[in-house]
Amino acid sequence: MNSNYTKYWLYQAGGWGAFALINIFFAVTFDRLNMEYVTRMFIFIVLGIAITHGVRWLVHRIDLLLKPLNQQVVGFIFLTLLAGILLATIEIGVFHMVNLETKEMTDLSFFGQLVAFGFNSFVYLFIWNCIYFIHHYVDKTRKQQLDTLKLESLVKELELKTIKAHINPHFIFNSLNGIRALVVENPERARKAITELSNILRSSMQTEKSESVTLERELNIVKDYLALENMRFEDRLKIVYTVDEDTLDLPVPPMMLQTLVENAIKHGISKQVSGGVVKIISDFKNGYHELAVQNTGKLNGKANKEGFGLSSTLNRLNILFGDKAKFELKQVDAQLVEAKVQFPLQ
Amino acid sequence: MKAVIIDDERLARTELKKLLQDFPEIEVVDEAANAEEGIAKIDSLQPDLIFLDIQMPGKTGFDMLRELDRAPHVIFTTAYDEYALKAFEVNALDYLLKPVEPKRLADAIQKLGAVETKEPRIIQENINNSILSENDQVFVKDGERCWFVKLSEIRLFESVGNYAKVFFGPNKPLILKSLNALEERLDQKMFFRANRKHIINLRLIEKIEPYFNGGLLLELKGGEKIEVSRRQTVKFKEMMSL
Repeated sequence: MNSNYTKYWLYQAGGWGAFALINIFFAVTFDRLNMEYVTRMFIFIVLGIAITHGVRWLVHRIDLLLKPLNQQVVGFIFLTLLAGILLATIEIGVFHMVNLETKEMTDLSFFGQLVAFGFNSFVYLFIWNCIYFIHHYVDKTRKQQLDTLKLESLVKELELKTIKAHINPHFIFNSLNGIRALVVENPERARKAITELSNILRSSMQTEKSESVTLERELNIVKDYLALENMRFEDRLKIVYTVDEDTLDLPVPPMMLQTLVENAIKHGISKQVSGGVVKIISDFKNGYHELAVQNTGKLNGKANKEGFGLSSTLNRLNILFGDKAKFELKQVDAQLVEAKVQFPLQ
Repeated sequence: MKAVIIDDERLARTELKKLLQDFPEIEVVDEAANAEEGIAKIDSLQPDLIFLDIQMPGKTGFDMLRELDRAPHVIFTTAYDEYALKAFEVNALDYLLKPVEPKRLADAIQKLGAVETKEPRIIQENINNSILSENDQVFVKDGERCWFVKLSEIRLFESVGNYAKVFFGPNKPLILKSLNALEERLDQKMFFRANRKHIINLRLIEKIEPYFNGGLLLELKGGEKIEVSRRQTVKFKEMMSL
């Protein structure tokens, strides 16, 4: 606010200073410069600053800048007209009092003087007001754009957070139920399952700020997750890992592979009465790091892009890589559906 | 009481069987890993009670119930399923959340015992093609809501294309059954074909008025007015007179 006020006075000084210089320049050129001329100009500038300052006060007072644009334009013209007449009247009065009337002035009636001076003042005030309003208009638009950008980035951050915190409650409770059965049947497996479930819960609670983790870390969560699903589905689920060891150190967005694997289970295996296979592939291909999840099943017509898994994957790839990363979901053969992400190699 | 457990996870079935060991009145006669198996076992074993998981491969538990002509007592078991939970809240069907709390299981079984002593189920002699009795219940699902409805509570079946609209209480959901198919399964002492489009419950008639052409106009307990065609009026009068 304070810096704005300083800026306002700088603009005032600059504007009226330029006005004075230009006038003096022309007066010198046409050899009209004398003490009277300078005094008249000085009086005009002082009055001008006073009146425009008054206009500014009024604009703030009636919050004209916050009104719709068409109201602003009407208010602005009306104000300029009013200030022009006021400025002219005072100017004539002052000149008359201090005996500075020009020869042309004395030839005219008061009304004639008012028209001539009023037109003159109106032009200058019009310029002043134009600058004032345009400045504020541009300023406001820029601020709005900035706010929109800030909002967008906030939304993105929130989206990332919810993706990280997302685990399927159905999965948790089913796993717990399975573990309870295993406590009697196979205590060793039950103990292992508790560790796996803890790892998954912990990883989903850690709302790390980082935008990426190494594939190795992501794969550890996925392995725990699939081990638990294997406990539930038993021989209905077969898991195959085909991972190039050199890809283990590459960065991937956290929980992205996990989301794709969850989808493979949810839409693939859990719908097959006789179960199927989930295959995880990580490899280099055509200058990309290719990460794919294949599962037994059929892609039913149009995949639901509104669903959480797909939409969040697409959104995150878009946020993190723009159009440099690719995502594909397709039926590779009669039995197999593949979800494939291609990350650009840095 | 004979029970069948239907759940796609072996461990879940094992766990439930273990919990049910504390209830000697419940005898788990068999188990099924999906809806198809479930239907087959219900048809052959005629259990009094089924424990039914909702999310299963192939068909869901709801789909399975809709294919049964006569639903046994059902206790749903589900881990967490917002969609299903919503359906339960509305209609207060009995359901257990996995992992099942022994106390909740005891409550559910006790509640079932109370129902059973009040309205003992008549053992049907000929199971196939049998006529449904008034205490038989059907499972009806319409969008997000589902109900078990006793036939004695149904006022009216109305034909809507290939579907039939079922009127009971304030509800009128659709089921995928033709009126003709329904008529074959319904007890004629209780349900009456009033015209081409309607089957009414004779015990839920409020008022009878003469109508044009020697027909009748019946008003049901729910306020629905149904016209009885002239041909059916003759039959109706025959049935109602001694």
